Amino acid sequence: MFEVFLKEVRELLRDRKTLFFVIALPIVIFPVLFALLAFLASKTTLEAEQKVHTYYIANAHLAPEFEERVFYHKSFKLYDGDERFESVTALSDAVRAGKIDVGIVIPDEFNHQPSANVQSAWQVVFNDAQSINFVYKRLEKLINQFAADLRTASLEALGVPQTEHKALLNPIAVSKVDTADKRENYGEKLGAFIPYMLIPLVLMGASYPAIDLGAGEKERGTLETLLLTPVTRTQLVLGKFLTVLASSIACALVTVSSLAVWIGIASGFGALDSLKAAFASVSMWDYLLIFALLLPVAVMLSSLVLAISIYARTFKEAQNYMGPLSMLVFVPIVVSLLPNMSLTSLTAWIPITNVSLAIKEIIKGTVDYGAVLMIFVASALLAGALLSCCVRWFSRESVLFR
Amino acid sequence: MIAVNGLKKRFKLTKEAVSGNAHQDPRQRDGYFNSVEAVSFKCEGNEVLGLLGPNGAGKTTTLRMLSTALTPDDGSIHIAGHDIVKHPLAGRKAIGFLSGTTGLYGRLTAKENVEYFAKLHGLKGRALKSRCEYLFATLDMESFLDKRAEHLSTGMKQKTNIARAVVHEPQVVILDEPTTGLDIMTKQTIIQFIRMLKANQTPVVFSTHHLDEIALLCDRICLIDQGVSCFDGTIEQFKAVGDSNELNDAFLNIVNQGRAHV
Repeated sequence: MFEVFLKEVRELLRDRKTLFFVIALPIVIFPVLFALLAFLASKTTLEAEQKVHTYYIANAHLAPEFEERVFYHKSFKLYDGDERFESVTALSDAVRAGKIDVGIVIPDEFNHQPSANVQSAWQVVFNDAQSINFVYKRLEKLINQFAADLRTASLEALGVPQTEHKALLNPIAVSKVDTADKRENYGEKLGAFIPYMLIPLVLMGASYPAIDLGAGEKERGTLETLLLTPVTRTQLVLGKFLTVLASSIACALVTVSSLAVWIGIASGFGALDSLKAAFASVSMWDYLLIFALLLPVAVMLSSLVLAISIYARTFKEAQNYMGPLSMLVFVPIVVSLLPNMSLTSLTAWIPITNVSLAIKEIIKGTVDYGAVLMIFVASALLAGALLSCCVRWFSRESVLFR
Repeated sequence: MIAVNGLKKRFKLTKEAVSGNAHQDPRQRDGYFNSVEAVSFKCEGNEVLGLLGPNGAGKTTTLRMLSTALTPDDGSIHIAGHDIVKHPLAGRKAIGFLSGTTGLYGRLTAKENVEYFAKLHGLKGRALKSRCEYLFATLDMESFLDKRAEHLSTGMKQKTNIARAVVHEPQVVILDEPTTGLDIMTKQTIIQFIRMLKANQTPVVFSTHHLDEIALLCDRICLIDQGVSCFDGTIEQFKAVGDSNELNDAFLNIVNQGRAHV
């Protein structure tokens, strides 16, 4: 069995294609892609933040103090054309035509005198279809400040002393006291993404060599010769299985280590401090626990992909089966990502979802070790069953000589 | 010596195969395809047996049963007195198998390929080294031993395959259309290899469509048609039963006689 394992590993290490997917992709390409994504996202946010919006105020003369505040705001620039847009329709057309970015309609009956005491409905006209847009937020802030000044003036005109304004406007102040510590908080938000990243990596690390070791051998005509050696089918399949398992775990470990290095480098520049803080309290024991839970998942997925690969006649056929399989693996992970999903006596029985939820709990620091043990045992049993199916599969003539 | 008696093997047919019976083979019955129905032959130590038969006659299935890759539904295979149907692991130690489509591990060198199979056959240390060295020298493989198999020429590959097939000193060698698709030079390597085995008293069973190879190498012929061995004997007997001195004509006559009886 170990002879088969050693030979498979040797061959795998000489296969540039598999090495690329299992080692190079996670070490270099994923972090580069993530960095590129983060760079593009921050660039668009920065551009949106630095954008200066051209504005037009209809009935500006009714609120000269407000007009002045907008005029002197660094993110707004007054429309300098000759046209006049005095209605919502005219402003909408102007926004659509790209003449202005935003229009504000102050109603004709607006009176900024403190004695007025009538609510006025203003309208802000802009294109709200962009996902990163600061224009409305900025205007809302300016309008709120202006409204607050009007309110103060009105209250003073009504004879309410300045000291009582706060209590009158906000009789009850509410504040939040969170019993969850920082780790639990971060863990809830980030914890679910760890299995979301790790489990597909385990699958990816398993499927590339599995295709080569099963369907690849059939296609190259080496499987038949291998079956003629005095090594039992069980030993052969276990040798192959160990190779697939080693590759899947290596792929996950390499990726996590490379991510840790990259996060380390990034936090060296001051970025990602919150991420670093979130993981600072996760101990070595917790990481070992995560690894222990991931192991039966790796066994499960490795047996599954190897069985599929042995069944397939050709490399291509095996690849065709791998697509739907990865979808099947994603579903239970996505279930664990659903809001408020937690480890219960019911979710503990759903394969992969249970491991995914347990990893989240470990990162949050709220894990129930009894439940983890149960999940480990259940997953290990399922993994063992799948592995024995794989061995039986490998002994069937109808599978080997399809 | 190898003795094969009453071998049978059937495969379950898929629903599509059962329903699409425009040209139904007579061996297709009750949802099964009876690929091999009654095959018997024997081959002594100093003999080369040629397995003949039209395409789809059941030759490859028979050879796969001999090589223990498939388990027969009925019948027996004895090599030097041992029943290899009952003890397939012992059978695999006794058999060397090579076909025209047998591949090598492309990313391993020629030497690593041969050594890997030697190790799987239980060879270790000095025994492994000396056996491999003997084969590399005999087959003149030294010049390409450290080249990866994927970079070898067809001839080099076939030499490596031969070394792989006999590295464990098998008691019987089985060859499934070993010369199909090979050039004349490579074919010659195979022919020399078969002669070498014969000289070493190792029985050889090989299937082929090339009657010139039969005339050149074989002492005995077994003709399989529609899953049944309709002839097993010497070349002279083959010519006599087939009523012709030409192997081609004799072959066709025996096949036709067999079909006329059905």
